[in-house]
Amino acid sequence: MSVVPLPLDDVLLRPDIWRGDRLAGFDADNLSSNFAALDAELPGGGWPRGALVELLPGVDGIGEVSLLLPALKRCMEDEAPIAIIAPPGMAHAPAWATQFPLARLLVVEAARDDIAWSVELLLASGGLGAVLAWLPAKISNKSLRRLQLAAEGSRSLAFMFRPPSSVQTSSPAPLRLSLTGSRQGLQVDIFKRRGPPCEKTLLLPVERPLPWTRVRSELPKWPGRTRKPQLELVTK
Amino acid sequence: MSAPVPKALWLALHFHRFPLEVFDAVDQPAVAVEQHLVACANAQAEILGVVAGMRLSGALGLAPGLVVRERKSLREAETLDRLACWAGSFSPHVSLAGPDELLIEIGGCLRLFGGLDVLCDLIRNGAVAQGFSVHMALAPIPLAAQWLARAGRQVCCRSPQSVRKHLQALPVDVIGVSRVEQQTLAALGVRRLKDLFALPSAGLARRFGIGLPRQLAQALGEAPDLRREFVFPEFFVQKLELPAKVEQAAMLLFAARRLLASLAGWLSVRASGVAECDLVLLHDDGIADSHLVLAFASPTRDLARMERVLRERLDRLVLSAPVTDLRLEAVTPVLMPGSTLGLFAQTSAQSLDPVIERLRARLGKQAVHAIEIKNDYRPECATLSVERTEFTQTQHGPPRPLWLLPRLQALQERDGALHYGGVLQRVAGPERIESGWWDRGEKRGDTQEEEAAVGDVQRDYYVAVSVRGEWLWIFRDVRGWWLQGVFA
Repeated sequence: MSVVPLPLDDVLLRPDIWRGDRLAGFDADNLSSNFAALDAELPGGGWPRGALVELLPGVDGIGEVSLLLPALKRCMEDEAPIAIIAPPGMAHAPAWATQFPLARLLVVEAARDDIAWSVELLLASGGLGAVLAWLPAKISNKSLRRLQLAAEGSRSLAFMFRPPSSVQTSSPAPLRLSLTGSRQGLQVDIFKRRGPPCEKTLLLPVERPLPWTRVRSELPKWPGRTRKPQLELVTK
Repeated sequence: MSAPVPKALWLALHFHRFPLEVFDAVDQPAVAVEQHLVACANAQAEILGVVAGMRLSGALGLAPGLVVRERKSLREAETLDRLACWAGSFSPHVSLAGPDELLIEIGGCLRLFGGLDVLCDLIRNGAVAQGFSVHMALAPIPLAAQWLARAGRQVCCRSPQSVRKHLQALPVDVIGVSRVEQQTLAALGVRRLKDLFALPSAGLARRFGIGLPRQLAQALGEAPDLRREFVFPEFFVQKLELPAKVEQAAMLLFAARRLLASLAGWLSVRASGVAECDLVLLHDDGIADSHLVLAFASPTRDLARMERVLRERLDRLVLSAPVTDLRLEAVTPVLMPGSTLGLFAQTSAQSLDPVIERLRARLGKQAVHAIEIKNDYRPECATLSVERTEFTQTQHGPPRPLWLLPRLQALQERDGALHYGGVLQRVAGPERIESGWWDRGEKRGDTQEEEAAVGDVQRDYYVAVSVRGEWLWIFRDVRGWWLQGVFA
């Protein structure tokens, strides 16, 4: 039996084939991150749907969620809800309400052993626009693979936050980013992607409660002890 | 012009191992006995040569490890009622026929389920999932369908001609005549219905009474055959006695599924759904009943959804005492009109409900929630955790952090500077929040966290940036500096 070989060029034109030395082309299904510098480095030109994206922030509060907010807002436009699983703090309603309608937000507080199960269930449901999960430090590769499989079957954005130490370990997630805070912006290091290794570290001006220009090099003095707030009862 | 009335099509279900299968599903040879005679044997027992009508002692000789159940006709009647309720999932026209037979009129609902084959598969799988062996036959005449099912002919006749053709080949004992009459028929050389149809009805009536020729005429559609419809109960409370005391929760699954299947059918007939149903586990006398409440995110009558929640709950249940009976109560059924089928495959928020209820069943009701704003200036009190919310507007406001720390964290002040992994820089502030004078809070002990949790607060809030690039929400009160939230 003879097999007619397919011309290699034809194969390379397929959207699901990419060459190791270059990034996958623009994929209309991907959601732009709203940061041109980041989109240029992400395969497909944005956050991928139906694939795990691992984010490894050094500490909480450097803008790791704000980095995703533009994409989350956009995926809310097709009325798909967003689930937050095992967040590191208590979700503060007045802050979330400035970003999107609270009716679209689902908070799941799971104990450590139940997190992966909950994420898998929510991803598999296919009814969500995005899943944001804070995975436990010790999670087996097997559970991660299950999550990746569940994500592949859906069109959800799947952002998995993991501790910075997991940089050392391998993971089935096709896109992994390490995040570091600084006084100039959020430093993003894409250390795994479908394409050539990303050499440069991106500095992104993620949205903060106040403009970045407020951060100055010289430190203004903190009000001292003498200016304690006092409440006095005034009687006539 | 009126719409054409769909032709009646009767589906007969004959549960041919009913006396045995009303108890539970056994994986080893088992028989149901009545007065020391085998009434019914399961497939494993039949392989060993045990057949109905055999003496129990003979059966035990063939299969020493035989599981023997005493036949209980009351239990059979209850089970058949439950199955009739379940059949309500498919059609509201159900009628009980004989001790182990159901008739379902499905002529009017074929389109709803996507055709005859799909519907028959659904019904068969539903019966098998509950542990019942079933023979099914379809005919436009109820009695004919019944006889065909009884003979194990799984056929579908759509016209009177094909009914006659199929009936002719059946053995005469499907009619259910007495043993003496059977012998008389055999003596006459009548073995199949074909032979019976050939005999003149006047002669038959003289020998066997008027009943036999009338039955034959009814089976051929020549005489009317009116069936009494099954009356679905007004309230759903069903009890199921377990064949043996159960000590492990997982073993309740099989029996509880039978109850849920019945509930699902009952709900479809009433066009209702339940947001909650109560599975009561009854123990021996003197021990209070346990309640297992199955809660759903939205009213439902979807059996698969109910079963998933049931399984999740049973997985985590530890029984306090052996269970003897189960009782299922539909607490408050709510009217739930049927949904229109979508023209295109649509995904909607509705599809999330089954997932939410599964999460709740495993993690607890409080763990899966939506959030809502409460009008309170104190940040700790500004978030309400609710089951679901209708907040659809985005709002503007002063900078607020996405996460609040579960507990306030004290900050160190050294040489006029605050430290949190390095010197903190002030970016904005102060913003004064003073509120809660009406709310004294409970001051227990001297621990600062508890004192600061609620109550009257007077705080100056600042936004600060650490050397690591964290944006923090901190405040100062009379006791010092505190970290309350992070701008994630």
